[in-house]
Order: sequence, then structure tokens, then C-alpha cells
Amino acid sequence: MSVGPVARNGSTEEFFDGTAAGQFLIRRCSPDGHISRPQARQCSECGTTELSWTAATGRGRLISWVVIPVRSGEGESPRPPIVPAIGELEEGPWWWSMLVGADPDSLAEGQPLRIEYQRAGDSEAVPIFVVDTTPRDT
Amino acid sequence: MGRLTDNRRPVIAGLGLTEMGPVYGRTATNFATEAVRLAVADAGLQVGDVDGLLTSNGTSGGVGLGLQRDLGLLDLRLLSEVQGFGSTAGTMVQVASMAVQSGMADVVACVFADAPLRPGRSAGDVYGMGRRPDAGGGGAAALPPPAGWGGLLMATGVVGANTLYALAARRHMLRYGTTTDDFGAIAVAQRAWAVHNPHAQMREPITLDDHRRSRWIADPFRKLDCCLVSNGGVAVVVTTAERARSLAQPPVHVMGWAQCHPGRLFDRDENFGLVTGAARSGPQALAMAGVKIGDIQVAELYDCYTYTALVSLEDYGFCGKGEGGAFVSSGAIGPDGRLKLNTGGGQLSSYYMWGMTPLSEAIIQVRGQGGGRQVHPHDLALVSGNGGILDHHATIVLGSSAT
Repeated sequence: MSVGPVARNGSTEEFFDGTAAGQFLIRRCSPDGHISRPQARQCSECGTTELSWTAATGRGRLISWVVIPVRSGEGESPRPPIVPAIGELEEGPWWWSMLVGADPDSLAEGQPLRIEYQRAGDSEAVPIFVVDTTPRDT
Repeated sequence: MGRLTDNRRPVIAGLGLTEMGPVYGRTATNFATEAVRLAVADAGLQVGDVDGLLTSNGTSGGVGLGLQRDLGLLDLRLLSEVQGFGSTAGTMVQVASMAVQSGMADVVACVFADAPLRPGRSAGDVYGMGRRPDAGGGGAAALPPPAGWGGLLMATGVVGANTLYALAARRHMLRYGTTTDDFGAIAVAQRAWAVHNPHAQMREPITLDDHRRSRWIADPFRKLDCCLVSNGGVAVVVTTAERARSLAQPPVHVMGWAQCHPGRLFDRDENFGLVTGAARSGPQALAMAGVKIGDIQVAELYDCYTYTALVSLEDYGFCGKGEGGAFVSSGAIGPDGRLKLNTGGGQLSSYYMWGMTPLSEAIIQVRGQGGGRQVHPHDLALVSGNGGILDHHATIVLGSSAT
């Protein structure tokens, strides 16, 4: 399963500039440095609308997931399921995307995830989740 | 415009149900006008008596302000299209109740209708459940790619009610140990009620094994965890207690009501999937009605999925938080259970008219017109409506007397 195409608009322009450079951008409030999700129009803690963009580590943990079977055509080899998932970034915000390349039976709450990027043709780079097997201090 | 008195307390005096299910060849507008006419006749009123109209579109459109013309209604004192998805029916009855109580209007019709089903079109197609991000095809390729934050969700397959509710349900399972068999217990219990409901689309009894064999739609949901999709319409008529005294049906008093729209931040410590708006709207509506959750004799809880009914049971306090799975698997629900829950089969087994499904069944039960599924006693009912992905919640307490 691969991602579909997506177009940028006025709200997502900077975000897609980030993904094109391999960065997952989130919002940081200028007064206090609180972190909010990329979609935020005001700080989720203090309410200020003075937000700047900052790069997240791209690491997180698995909150929830769904396994959607994909029917294969006649004579085709079996197709892997689609696994839509919610991940919590290390910085706090939740992100929703597909989890790619994992065995659905092996998934567990809190499992380390990493954000990678996929493109449909020459469309925007889209963040996806993969299971992160690199060792972590925590 | 009179002063507020007990005589102006709100009452549901009319209920109209069209044929519902895979009924083809009719538009939503057509179902809506019939539902209003049926509800008005059921109350013993004339269509011309209606001086307020609230409408709710499903997915197919055509149930809006134009309904006034379609019904030939003149000089309406209240007219609006209402949107809160699955909570809309509750909102309509709440607004109608406040309108008649204030004297703004005397006879308010509230109507939902939809006609999403067509021959050869699956329920999944209707609600975008079958969509795959990389689905090709000439038709799709000709469309511009989706844009904005929502476009990112579409591009990665995190779309459709099945997927989004399944993400919520998985979270509940992980946190509280809820199982797919617990979900199955709800499907089985509600089907047992639907057997006795002549309006129900699915009346063949099922077992837990049937649920276990039911195909995965979006694991943890099997097909039998998902609501039906129906064509049809439902309308209710809200008027004052005084007016209702001379009308045709036993009055169903609107005793209490409330809403909660959580407005989630989706950040660390988010309770998505664990707690719904019912946790706040429930106590507020019960307090307004002057009753406690233990007094409720009939519970009609919104059940777009088995999970939705389960988490709502917890939030209303029919069982403790996290105990919903054990509660429904203990035999507490179903026709022989101690809690009379979703007595018509709910949206899983009877008909999918959004919030009108639980509301209509509650009205039937409080009136004592449930036939083979009538519960006793039936003087106090709680109705929930849940919209979006657990984004909007409406609660109504109905009673056979005003207090």
C-alpha cells in the first residue's frame, strides 16, 4: 500500500515545504515555547496565535491502529492490509497516518514509531509511520 | 406569546416513520414530506397546524429549507436546517422544546430523511468506507488531488467512519481490556430485540459465534459491529403539554436535555476513544429532569457501532468506566437483561436514521406501543445522539409524565 496524491493549500504550504526536506514541522508558540500540532491555529496551552514552525524529531509511539483487509484480484498474490494508525509524537501532538511495513499481529500500544515520507508520483511528500527499531534511551 | 408556565412544557405528540431500508426509487425529500405528514396525522393534527419546522439532511441532500414549500407551510415562526450529524435529532428536539416552551412556536415538526442506497451501491461506498488512498481508475485520476489537512488523511487512508471509530474502539480495548466478544455481546443482544420489531431490517437471531465468523471490516470491527445504512425518513412533532392534552397519542414529555461537544486537542493525555461527550451531557440532562441514572427504565443509546453503545453505557453511568465490556458480556442487556438497551434493535439491526433511530424507539416505548418488544415499566427513557467521530453528543430524558 502506498500513499495517494495530495495538494498543498494556504494552510499546508509550510508543512509540505518541511516534508519535502524530510522534516516534520509542528507549531511552537512564540511567547512560551508550547508545542501544538501542525494544524493548530492557536497554541493549545496558552491560546496565543503567535505560532512559528519547528521541526519535530519524527519519533513517537503507537496510540491506536486499525487493520483493514485488502481483497486481491483473481490470480493475484494476497495483498497486505492497510493499517491506519494514530501516533503520539515525542513532542506531544498526535498524528494520523498509515503504518507501513509492520506485521499487524506484532503491534502493541506504546510501540516506538518513526515518521518517513512517501510520494504518489510527483505529488507532495506525505508522512507515514514505520515501526522504529533503533534503540532509545527511554 | 405567553408567559412560561407548566402548560408550555414540551411534549412529543407525534411520530412518523416511513418505510425504511433498501427502498429504491424515492428521494430524501419525498421520504421527508411523508414522514412529516405521518407524524402530524399520528398526533391528530393537520399539516397546516405546524408553525415550526426543523430539518436534518443525511448524505443525499434535499431535506432543507425548501421543505416548507413542499409541505405548503405558510408563515412559519421557526424554520432551520440543523447539523450535528448523529446528534442532530437530539438537537432538533431540544430546540423545538425551547421554542414551544418560550412561546416562539406551538407545533414544531422535526424531520430527518436520507436516500443514500441505490441498487448495486454498497453501504461502504455511501460513507466512504471502501476508499483506498492509492485507488486508481480513470475517474479518480481525472479529479484534482485532495488538499489541506483533510487531504493528508485521504492520502494515507485514515478516512471513513469505520476506520476512525475502529481507532477509538482499539484504544478502549488497549486501556480497559475490552474484547471483540464484548462488542459481539451487544450485536447479539440488539438482534434479539429486533426480532420483535416490525420496522427492523434484520430480524434473524444471531449468536456470538455468528459475530466471531463475521468478516473483518476494520479490525477490531467485524461486519456485525457496524450499523446498517437505510433509505427512509422519520419525523416527530413537538408541542406544549397543554396542546397535547387534546391530541391523539399518550404524551411523551421532554423532561431534560443537554449537549456536549468535547473539541479535542489531540495531544498527550487525550481521552479520545475512552470518554465521550455523554459523560457531561448525561448528568446535566438527568439533573434537569430531576432523576438519577438508576431511575432510567429504557435506554436508547446511539449505536453507529457496537463500541459506541458500549462506551456510552460507561459515560452515562450504567456501569463504571472501563467496565462496559464485562457489563454487556454478563447478560445485563438484551430482552432478558436487567437494562433495557436499544429495544428496537438499534442502528445495528433495525434502521439507520441517525439520531432518529434511538429517539423513535424511545417514543414508542414510553407510549407503551412496543408490541412484542414493549418493556415494563416504561415511564422514563434516556436517548443519546452521537455525531462526527465522537465529536458531538446530545442527551434527552423522556417521560410519560412531566415530573
